[in-house]
Amino acid sequence: MSDPIGGIPYFILEFGDELVYFTPYTITLFLLALTFTILVIISRPERQMDIAFGGDAYRTKEISLAEMRFRRFMAIACGLASMGAMVTGDIFNFTLFTAMVGITNVGIVAAVKSPHVQDAAFQYGLVALCATVPLFGGAAIYAATTGSLSMIELMKGTIPSVPLIAKALLVIGVVGEGMAPFYAAKAEMFRAPGAPYVIMCSLSSLLIFLRVIEVILLG
Amino acid sequence: MWGQYSYGLLVVMVAAIVAFFALAREYDDFHKFLLLDLIEIPSLGVIALLGTDLAEALVLPGLTVGIAEQLALSQIYCVKEGIKERPVSRLNIEVVAIGDAPLIISIFLVVYGILLSGFTGGGVAGLGLVYFFASRGYKENLNMLEMASGISWALWIFAFFCFMFLPDYWFIALMCAAVGIVLKVTVKMSLVGTMWGQNRE
Repeated sequence: MSDPIGGIPYFILEFGDELVYFTPYTITLFLLALTFTILVIISRPERQMDIAFGGDAYRTKEISLAEMRFRRFMAIACGLASMGAMVTGDIFNFTLFTAMVGITNVGIVAAVKSPHVQDAAFQYGLVALCATVPLFGGAAIYAATTGSLSMIELMKGTIPSVPLIAKALLVIGVVGEGMAPFYAAKAEMFRAPGAPYVIMCSLSSLLIFLRVIEVILLG
Repeated sequence: MWGQYSYGLLVVMVAAIVAFFALAREYDDFHKFLLLDLIEIPSLGVIALLGTDLAEALVLPGLTVGIAEQLALSQIYCVKEGIKERPVSRLNIEVVAIGDAPLIISIFLVVYGILLSGFTGGGVAGLGLVYFFASRGYKENLNMLEMASGISWALWIFAFFCFMFLPDYWFIALMCAAVGIVLKVTVKMSLVGTMWGQNRE
């Protein structure tokens, strides 16, 4: 086995179609996702406050319990999806987990009853839906050219190299799902109240972007 | 083989670019959403071009993810635009009048689906039922369909146990699994959209 980018895998689990492996790189990302998921589970949500400049007036925004429950559920689902994307050793599973991160990111903010947040969530959802085209397309070209979707096989370097277009499509797909380097595009979504849950949006997209770097450097 | 694949890929990519161009020119949110449905199809096309069993196994999750995202987005759109409780009794299209045509088309689809069997057959037969219900303004309790769904699920599980513990009887298991999945998918498809937000007894 040639020297893989993320380090030598400590542990490889091959069970039928499922393939999971931990390298020093992915285990770090996995632990980060796990920590934040636990934080989301145990922490209490913030209350947003509007303060009027030049006066003493302030008011607290009322957020219903049902809304918070839904958003906590979505944040936990988002954490689980990012954990899955971190440890999976299968290109197509990685794209599915990435698509799930996209859906849950939309879901975290979609419960907010504010019109501009809803609008931002809808537009972001449109981009995430567009991004499934290059994402799945890239994974399919991976399978077509190398004959394998397994990252372990790609690491060995014995199979034909992956064309640049497949890697490019995969990266475009991940960028679209998570908006990873373009956080400004998500700014309107971050105005949604609920601190620990909104953090999950940016954390998950950062993690999947870090993982896709490893994936494209493999083959 | 590689040549055919490349040409197929070219056609799909051109289709995707045309669809994305249409999306870029569209400004209405609802039409953007409809165009996205169109854009999903090239992505499934790229996967289907693999032309192996793997492709079929990958198209299904791809399709499911696409549908899940669209359902989520349609819910957000309804909330965003303040669309509530608009009762839809039946398709209000002139062609689909209450007549014999929907019945004949549905029977054709169901029979063809049963002949196909398996997941695809279930999909076709379910589409026939959806079409029938949509054109007739179906208003009855759905307990019967839910029961059929449960029974087919049990049949499917039984078939899997048979595969694992009694591999000699694989033919029975195969038949059970095929019938189970045909029923299951048919019922699931025919329930799409009918169980949302209705007060059932």
